[in-house]
Amino acid sequence: MSATTEEISYWELIKNGILKENTIFKLALSLCPAIAVTNNLKNGVFMGVAVIFVQVMVNLTISAMRKFIHPRIRLPIFMLVISGWVTVVNLGMDALVPDVYRSVGLYIQLIVAFASILARAEMFASKNTIMPSMFDGIGMGLGFLVALVTISFFRELIGKGMLWGVPIINAKPLLILVLPAGGFFAVGILMAAFNWMYAKYFTKGHSH
Amino acid sequence: MTGKDIIKITLNLVVIYVIGGLILAVVHATTSPVRYKNNVIAEQKALKLLIPDADKIDKLGDWESHERHAQYWIAKKGNDTIGYIVQSFGKGYSSYIKTLIAVDKDFKVQKIEILDEKETPGLGDEVETPSFKSQFKGKDLDHLKVLKTDTTEYIQAITGATISSRAVTEDAVRNGVQFLKDTIQGGGAAHVGHN
Repeated sequence: MSATTEEISYWELIKNGILKENTIFKLALSLCPAIAVTNNLKNGVFMGVAVIFVQVMVNLTISAMRKFIHPRIRLPIFMLVISGWVTVVNLGMDALVPDVYRSVGLYIQLIVAFASILARAEMFASKNTIMPSMFDGIGMGLGFLVALVTISFFRELIGKGMLWGVPIINAKPLLILVLPAGGFFAVGILMAAFNWMYAKYFTKGHSH
Repeated sequence: MTGKDIIKITLNLVVIYVIGGLILAVVHATTSPVRYKNNVIAEQKALKLLIPDADKIDKLGDWESHERHAQYWIAKKGNDTIGYIVQSFGKGYSSYIKTLIAVDKDFKVQKIEILDEKETPGLGDEVETPSFKSQFKGKDLDHLKVLKTDTTEYIQAITGATISSRAVTEDAVRNGVQFLKDTIQGGGAAHVGHN
C-alpha cells in the first residue's frame, strides 16, 4: 500500500487519511465508536480529537522504535504503546476537562481496541521514519474526526433537533437517528454519499 | 529461533514495558491530585446548590449503597433543620450512577443531582438533564416510580433509557430517601426533636 517515503509529500499523507483511506467512510474500520459516540456533536468532536492525539503519539513512538522492535513480538509491543497512550489521554482528560470526560470517558478507553490505530502502526509507522509517520497519524486522525463530526452533526440535528446541545429545529425530531439503529442508517447513508462525492470529484481518471 | 533472538526479544519487552510503566506512573502521579480535587469541588458545589436556603450543611454520617461508601448531611438555617442530603448509588445500564438527593424535613424530595455516571452517551446520560432531574421536586417515597407514559405525578422515563431512568429513580433516590427516613426517624431522634 504505502509507497516509499520520498515520493509522498506530507500534504499527500494528510489528504490520504482524510479522503482516500478515510478510516470510516473508505476503510470501514472502527465502526463501533462511529455509531456509539456520534449521537451528539460534542461527543463526536472530543472523541475525534482524542483519536488524533493517540494516533499521532502511537505512530511517533512506533516509528522511533521500529529498528529496535523484534518482528516476532511487534504486536504485543504495539498494543502496549497504544494502551499506554490511551491511558495518558484518559487520565489527562479526567484531570483537565472533567465535564467532557464524564460523557466520553467510557469510549476513550475503547480506543485501545481501535482497529484503525493498530493498522496504521503495523502498515505505516513500523516501515517509515518519524516525520512521515507523524503526518500519517495526523491525516488518519483528521479523517476519523471529519467522519465523526459529519455523522454526529446529522444525527444530533435530525434526531434531536439540536446542535452541541442547543435547540435548532423547533419540531418533533426523528428520534430513531440518535438510537443505535439509526446510527447504522446514518453511517450507511453518509458512507454512500462520501463515496459518491469521492468518485465524482477526487478520482482523476483512475478508480480502484 | 536462535538463542540470540530469545535474548533480543526478552530485552525488547523488558525495556519497553519498563519505560511504559514509568510514563504511566508519572502521568498518574501528576493527575491524581487534580482528579481528586475536582471531585471534592464538584461535591461541595453540588451540596450548596441542592439546598440554597441552608446556612450550614453538616455531615451526619456514613452509610453503604450498593457496597459503595456514601454519606449523608443535615442542612440547617439558624437553629432549624430545613432538610437532609443523602448520597446514593443506582445500578444503571453500564455504571453505578452516583446521586445526591436533597429532601425537606418531611422527606419529600427537593432536588437531585447526578455526580457521576458512565451511561450511554446521548441516551442514558440524559439523566443529567435538568428536564429529567426537575421531575423529582416534591415527590415522596410513594411517587418515586418510573412510568413510560406522560406523567407529572410519577417520574417519566427518558425515551430509549428506561434502565438508567429506573436506576436513578427506583434504586438511587428511593433507597436513599428510605434510608434517611429510617435513620432519622428511627435512630437519630435527637436531630428532629423540634418537629
